[in-house]
Amino acid sequence: MIYEIIMPKLGETMEEGYINKWLKNEGDRVRKGEVILEVMSDKTNFEVESQHEGFLRKILIQSSDKPVPVTTIIGYISDSMDEEIPAIAKEEKQQEASLKEKKPPEEGSLEKKETQFSTRIIASPAAKKLASEMGINLKDIADLKAGGRIEKKDVEDYALHIKEKQMEAGKKIEQLSPVRKIIADRLSWSKQNIPHYYLSTKINMNSIEQMKELSNRQGKDFTYTDFILFFVSRVIPDFPLLNTSFINGEIHQFNSIDIGIAVNTENGLVVPVLRDLRNKSIEEISILRSNAMDKARKGQLEKKDTENCRFVLTNLGMFGVMQFQAIINPPGTAIMAVGSIEKEPIISGEIITVGKTMWVTLSLDHRVIDGAYGGAFLKKLRMIMENPATALL
Amino acid sequence: MREITYRQALNEALDEEMARDEKVFLMGEDIAIYGGAYGVTSGLLNKYGEERVRDTPISEAAIVGAGLGSALLGYRPVVEIMYIDFIGLCMDQLNNQVAKIRYMFGGKCTVPLTIRTEGGAGRTLGAHHSQSLEAWLMHIPGIKVVMPATPADAKGLLKSSIRDNNPVVFIEHKMLYNTKGFVPENEYLVPIGVADIKRTGNDVTVLTYSRMLLFSLKAAEILEKDGISVEVVDLRTLLPLDKTTIKNSVMKTNRVVIVEEDTKTAGAGAEIGMTVVEECFDYLDAPVKRVAGADVPMPKAPNLESLAIPSVETIVQGIMEVMK
Repeated sequence: MIYEIIMPKLGETMEEGYINKWLKNEGDRVRKGEVILEVMSDKTNFEVESQHEGFLRKILIQSSDKPVPVTTIIGYISDSMDEEIPAIAKEEKQQEASLKEKKPPEEGSLEKKETQFSTRIIASPAAKKLASEMGINLKDIADLKAGGRIEKKDVEDYALHIKEKQMEAGKKIEQLSPVRKIIADRLSWSKQNIPHYYLSTKINMNSIEQMKELSNRQGKDFTYTDFILFFVSRVIPDFPLLNTSFINGEIHQFNSIDIGIAVNTENGLVVPVLRDLRNKSIEEISILRSNAMDKARKGQLEKKDTENCRFVLTNLGMFGVMQFQAIINPPGTAIMAVGSIEKEPIISGEIITVGKTMWVTLSLDHRVIDGAYGGAFLKKLRMIMENPATALL
Repeated sequence: MREITYRQALNEALDEEMARDEKVFLMGEDIAIYGGAYGVTSGLLNKYGEERVRDTPISEAAIVGAGLGSALLGYRPVVEIMYIDFIGLCMDQLNNQVAKIRYMFGGKCTVPLTIRTEGGAGRTLGAHHSQSLEAWLMHIPGIKVVMPATPADAKGLLKSSIRDNNPVVFIEHKMLYNTKGFVPENEYLVPIGVADIKRTGNDVTVLTYSRMLLFSLKAAEILEKDGISVEVVDLRTLLPLDKTTIKNSVMKTNRVVIVEEDTKTAGAGAEIGMTVVEECFDYLDAPVKRVAGADVPMPKAPNLESLAIPSVETIVQGIMEVMK
């Protein structure tokens, strides 16, 4: 019996993945449930287990720089080592089919054929392979070369030549890394397809500041983010639309209050998700948050740590950014951008005092959430953050 | 390390294996009293006696057949076919019995038989005593074909062949017996099926074996002066071929020249070259080139004989061609 290994679809929005590496070689015995390869998608690595017992017979796609669509067959497992693998049979069939498709040459087409032949670029197999890996068009090299077969060295020289030219022009061109490519694709899609709108409010942080100082004195090192996460997770239950995914024209609502936090890492932006915050204490949230950031910075996030992301919190306050508008992380419908905490004159009654304030800006998906709904959320959040005691009421 | 000849190295291998295992014995034409046509078995009769070093009648079929029979009974015979040119006389035994019997009896028996023979041109012995017929043997599943070029490899590979539980045809070269090389004093084995890079280089891979290794190394030296860096791979075993070493070398250099003494058409190089195309197509920068023997019966005349096989000059030319 032959079994296909496919690029798995893990998560509703996953359409393609990158093969990081195979952990088994062709010919190795594999047990059901044993991890056979590592795939990267949505900026996280996950391990793929074998669905069958047998031998890893054929690896069709080694580690990939280009994304592989989900359900693509990437290898085969079979019960024994001597069964015929369909990959080969299939390739042969395709070849046959393509041979059949070629029509016999019509009369008078001889001339045409000759001209086709003369425009064929003669390149060695090694040169062709390298050029395709480097994304270089062999024709560009043929145009420069005086004739003769294009060889690997010609491709290398050309690549160097291009690089030098770019350097001269004061720029350098790089291919996107797999993580960068995912960020680029997802955010372009989001900004082009999700009707964003933005709501901002300024929150007086004096109360939170006091709470933070109190907890610090008790040796608890809570961050502003911990407090914001805590209060947001208390308010969201009253605004369930902010805790939704928009998938294929459907609104998916969830009971669990999960909040993603945007983390900057060496390899780019990642968004680990903190789960089920509804009844968690600030202390529990703080630990969750700190572990997730740690994992993210060490590049250890797994698929389960980032999937199913809905509401996201992003904070650039540490850079002195006072206010900004973030792009929604699909399939989520809301992202809240938090700015720096600034000292400001605050008018209470007839008196001006010095207080601390913070801008938050909510980006919302108008397909799901209307302005009044978002405004009400911000009003409630502001109220509870400025008067934390109301959380008890 | 001491330097000894290819002949002495082979003699030592036989001696050591006979001392190690009393089931090892020798049979062949003129190998006992005369010491072998090229002197490889010299001295062994006195040391091990007539039972274990046996002269045979002039019948290659009987030599190989008797070798097979005693191998099946648990001996480790090393039989000698004086010239590979005579291998046709024992081809039924070799091809239909020796190579197949283990398979046809479902693995219930083994055939630890070593057939030593020698081939190649260079002594103007004419068309009946100068051929390179390794390609015939490479076409027989069930045997191994070993062709060492240096004294050290000759010794280590002969010892491995004798200890192998499957039939091995061990082909020496008549022009190598007097060549000298470093051979370790201590006991060692050279594994069957593993090629050896005799000279490392970056620009082109030469795949060769047996005497042509020496020619190829000289060609590589000459080309080094022209700035061409030649990697010379000594295949050592033709069956099974060491595809890994071949592949690694071709991936590095992207060019291949096969140097073989046998006649070019359907020769060993055809198999080696096709393996390169199958395994390393995407790494090639130039067509695979063969520098091989001419498709003629080996001429007797010395000037024609040397033209019928590759020379250092034709190897240099061949390499230059793929470097263009």
